[in-house]
Amino acid sequence: MARDPKYDILFEPIQLGPKTMKNRFYQIPHCNGFGSEKPMSQAYFRAMKAEGGYGACCTEYCSIHPESDDTHRVSARLWDDDDVKNLGLMCDMLHDHGALAAAELWYGGPHAPCMESRAVPRGPSQIPSDFEHLTYAKEMDKDDIREVQGFYVEAAKRARDAGFDIVYVYGSHSYLPQQFLTPYYNKRTDEYGGSLENRARFWRETIEQVKAAVGDDCAIAVRMSTDMFMGEAGTQLERDCLPFVQLVDDIVDVWDINVSGISEWGEDATPSRFYPSGRLLPWQKAVKDVSKKPVLGVGRFTSPDLMLEAINGGSLDIIATCRPSISDPFLPLKIDEGRLDDIRECIGCNICISRWEIGGPPLICTQNATAGEEYRRGWHPEKFDPATNADNDVLVVGAGPAGMECAMVLGKRGMRRVHLVEAADDMGGIMRWIPQLPGLGEWARVVNYRKIQIDKLKNVEFIPNTELDADGVRSYGAEIVVVATGGYWATDGLNGATHDTIPGADASKPNILTPEQIMRDGKEVPGNRVVIIDNDGYYMGVSLAEKLAMDGKQVTIMTHLGHIAPYMDFTLEGPNMHRRLHQLKVEIVTHQVPTQIANGGLTSAYAYDEEHLTEWEADAVVLVTQRRSNEALYRELKDKIGAAALQSEGITGFYRIGDCEAPRLTADCVFSGHRLAREIDSDNPDVPLPFKRERAVVEREAVLA
Amino acid sequence: MSVLVVAEHLRGELRPVTLELVTAAKELGGPVAVAVVAKDPSALADAVNVEGVDEILAVAVDQEEFENDVYEQALEQLLSERDFDVVLLGFTVNSMGYGPALAAKLGLGFASDVFAVRDDGGLVATRAFYGSKVQAELEFPGHDRVLLLLRPTAWAPAEGAGAASTTDVSVSISGSRARHKDYVEAATGDVDITSADFLLSVGRGIGDKENIPQFEELAGKMGATLSVSRPLVDQGWIPSSRQVGQSGKTVKPKVYLALGISGAVQHLAGMKTSGTIIAVNSDPEAAIFNVAHYGAVADLFEVAEELEKLY
Amino acid sequence: MKIVVAVKQVAALGDEVEFTEDERDVDPDYLDFALNEWDTYATEEALRLCEASGDGEVVIVSVGDEDAEDAMRRCLAMGADRGIRIESEERLDPIQVARALAEVVQAESPDLVFAGVQSADAVQAATGTALAELLGLPRVAVVTKMELGDGKATVNRELEGGLVDVLEVETPALLTIQTGINEPRYATLRAIKQAEEKEIDVRQPSDLGTPAYEVTKMFVPPKGEGAEMLNGSAADVAQRIKEIVEECTA
Repeated sequence: MARDPKYDILFEPIQLGPKTMKNRFYQIPHCNGFGSEKPMSQAYFRAMKAEGGYGACCTEYCSIHPESDDTHRVSARLWDDDDVKNLGLMCDMLHDHGALAAAELWYGGPHAPCMESRAVPRGPSQIPSDFEHLTYAKEMDKDDIREVQGFYVEAAKRARDAGFDIVYVYGSHSYLPQQFLTPYYNKRTDEYGGSLENRARFWRETIEQVKAAVGDDCAIAVRMSTDMFMGEAGTQLERDCLPFVQLVDDIVDVWDINVSGISEWGEDATPSRFYPSGRLLPWQKAVKDVSKKPVLGVGRFTSPDLMLEAINGGSLDIIATCRPSISDPFLPLKIDEGRLDDIRECIGCNICISRWEIGGPPLICTQNATAGEEYRRGWHPEKFDPATNADNDVLVVGAGPAGMECAMVLGKRGMRRVHLVEAADDMGGIMRWIPQLPGLGEWARVVNYRKIQIDKLKNVEFIPNTELDADGVRSYGAEIVVVATGGYWATDGLNGATHDTIPGADASKPNILTPEQIMRDGKEVPGNRVVIIDNDGYYMGVSLAEKLAMDGKQVTIMTHLGHIAPYMDFTLEGPNMHRRLHQLKVEIVTHQVPTQIANGGLTSAYAYDEEHLTEWEADAVVLVTQRRSNEALYRELKDKIGAAALQSEGITGFYRIGDCEAPRLTADCVFSGHRLAREIDSDNPDVPLPFKRERAVVEREAVLA
Repeated sequence: MSVLVVAEHLRGELRPVTLELVTAAKELGGPVAVAVVAKDPSALADAVNVEGVDEILAVAVDQEEFENDVYEQALEQLLSERDFDVVLLGFTVNSMGYGPALAAKLGLGFASDVFAVRDDGGLVATRAFYGSKVQAELEFPGHDRVLLLLRPTAWAPAEGAGAASTTDVSVSISGSRARHKDYVEAATGDVDITSADFLLSVGRGIGDKENIPQFEELAGKMGATLSVSRPLVDQGWIPSSRQVGQSGKTVKPKVYLALGISGAVQHLAGMKTSGTIIAVNSDPEAAIFNVAHYGAVADLFEVAEELEKLY
Repeated sequence: MKIVVAVKQVAALGDEVEFTEDERDVDPDYLDFALNEWDTYATEEALRLCEASGDGEVVIVSVGDEDAEDAMRRCLAMGADRGIRIESEERLDPIQVARALAEVVQAESPDLVFAGVQSADAVQAATGTALAELLGLPRVAVVTKMELGDGKATVNRELEGGLVDVLEVETPALLTIQTGINEPRYATLRAIKQAEEKEIDVRQPSDLGTPAYEVTKMFVPPKGEGAEMLNGSAADVAQRIKEIVEECTA
């Protein structure tokens, strides 16, 4: 297939300082949980995008010194020559694919809690971080300023030595250089504070020094937040950013343009729930209008047409992606080959980001089960080894996210025949109704992508409107059976707080409802006052609150936790969700444990004083307490019929995946289906194969000798 | 090249495809006759007497409505008495019931869903193959008579007053084995966008769920069925039965009117072989204009308002 | 009761196309093959009637090369009893296909013969009706409903615009079946495996006669200048749209 000529501009090379980038696809610095201490995972992860056609790939934020230590979160590090070796591998592998490598040199100042290094960060003024409340910085004097600028220079040289082509002096969203620029962080009265020229001084000097040190060998990139949306206290576009751009434009080789501050950086890494793609374009254009240098930036770009518009419309020279590169490292190649319908689009759920926010775990992706598994499990998003037991027919029962993914990967691995059988009239499972919650429309891409892929696979057949019972499964004629029957929300109020049901909770009654009763089954929510009991802590409770409030109900959402929907803080959806609920006059009640649901209302107890009871009026109570597995079919096949009997019917493999095994995130359901399919020809597909772990292993005798 | 056009009628009214066949017939340059097979052919004679028609052959039969045995026998007898090089039928449900039978019985040259014809020293017909992705030119060696079923709307209907003579032709119909009993109006019921002749399709451009009823109403007034692009279904604004696109339904209506649809690849895959595509979008670069036959860079709400006034 | 269903393995083109050297057909490397969608409905209808009658046989016939048996096996997997393939390496016109089928179908003495209204690749909508002629059978094209009686059947024929024509047709008859007449069943893996064992008899065609047409050249249609833009005010645009719609849906 051929590239549509209208996309040619995306494949035109562009000069960045002394380097040439081969096309306009740039993977912007983003975290993956690997840093410099899991160098194989790091290198394989980044190289996959280069293989997929990206012209440049960046490290995540890359600490220049032990004082800039973000533990528990994982950053890259360029502290010493061993780090140079480790990150050097990433550079080599990127270069092998013709991509440039970029290091985002980072000094966090008061945002870096230094929980591993136990060093003391330095900053422009001594005010605790708005992001890390217990961290204070040492207020920098001129010696400190020289020293820290020296850290940048030494780190830049290490970056150059490692093989990086592009070196950042990184400011957004509010790390040290941008802290100096911003009155919110910088209360200084010397020549490094006050006027714009003074506030810009630190950043300008640092860029100059880095450029002097490595500018002949490396392109100098500056990443800045154009506007922190904090009014006069924050960086502002017209007052600070554009003059700064003009001030240093001559010495910068490429601009990387963001918005927002750090404590609400979801305004920049926009969840699809609140923002469409391309949100940053107006700010990116504002910078491009005053700069003579190439401008790049993100916007959750998944559509090649929007990318074109960004470039043709004069907003960007280079399309940067973070999340879309995670969901599909091969986006550039697919555009080049005219395979637009093979693009696995980012859904903007920010599950990837949530792992960094939690601090420590490697990233995961709802759409791409191979994200993060490139090295440790050897998975390639576009390559699938033919299964050694391909001469088998597979029955997958249930076409939700796990079932669809499993059937798709089994199909790509060449299984003789795969039948994906679904009771409902279409694919998708829970992902048919979840995207109907307010703002979640883009999450339907999980289904749309798999539908299209399965449609293309000749050896995979989708069979709707067919509910198989145990006998139906036994006699279906498959050699391998995968049960993917999903889960359901508890109808009796069973929950993780009390490990018990809620007296009076019975969703067969008209005034007590579960999420799928409302969204999938259309059960009417009676009356006007609704109380949602939310023990879940992610999006279900608050999304239903939003929906029912929009439908005109008076909504109270009650949780046993101290905070509503805490996981949404990790996905950066928290602040705007709170704003939305506030706008809709949803009452938020914390630290309350329901004790009894009766007609017309419920009683709850304060979490720390079970005698302290409150009565609530409610025409309807919605139970978002916990999920359960739909395991009846599996249990009947395993327990009642048994493996031996199944064997005698020709069923040699019998497995289950996804929510019907244990309820989990959609990303993990997709992973579950993917893993089984990848390992369907292992000795025991039920047991995940060990994955590679990057760790130090001691030679005991050598140590003790 | 002498051409015989077979008129098509329903419940006493001439069907427009008949006059389109006349236009096609005229392109072949020779004399054009129109056969009207009906209980009362004279009632339809005026309607077919347009400019370019030389002769009207009035074939009276007992049956009020179309029956395929009747038409086959009538045409067979007509063709045994009179010499025609080309016989033109519309590519319609009626014609499907007897045209190929006639061709098989009389050993005629044959092709259907033809949308271009010419006399190039012999008859040349153009039709599509492989689901409209490619086209082909056909010739008919070894046949001195060819029967073609022509694609409706591929030609404009012939107009103007004609000066055709009318000849009564009597035929003897020996029996009709598939007999018309009754007509039943189309049931409404579950919407199947794949069987609609005219789709009015809306996309993200309509902005809000609250605007859907307005377009539903407009569709109804225009005689169209409402369909949508994927984002509206993803948002839960409308059921997926209405979705046109790769993960929805593939449609091929006679007219596809796209309002506020930009034309993502997955959407185009579901509708680009539609007969006539009209697109309205405020973005002049919208990809939908690449597949549309007619386009307007305009505000879709303004255009919708104006359309409402016209219906 | 015996019902013969004539099916076709149709060819689909992706977005890329190359032609054969003589430019009269598409290079088969660019084609994907599958059972014609109409034929699943026809097969389903036949199976339902046979199941309702208590005892029946559904015979699948097709004209094509060995690969065409894949399409036939799908019908056998649905539950059809056996198949007969009439060998042909070339792509024939619908009248030739009808001639190839006629002898075989005649020999089966079926109570009913079904064909799909049209094939997805050639869209001639002719084979069924031509076959009926050669068999001397009464026929109805574009059937959306049928009810069998004694020596006759009441069928619905769907006209343009959705109007339904209710007819009485003498049986045995040939009916061309429209999509949507029923909901075709899916075949389980067991049924697919069993279908591998069902008999497909291969016959040679007799005289196919003069081809109904000859393709002199096949080509990708030129792209055209793109959309004709409608200019003027919203009112002008609306007026033009109304006119175009009326022309095209007449």
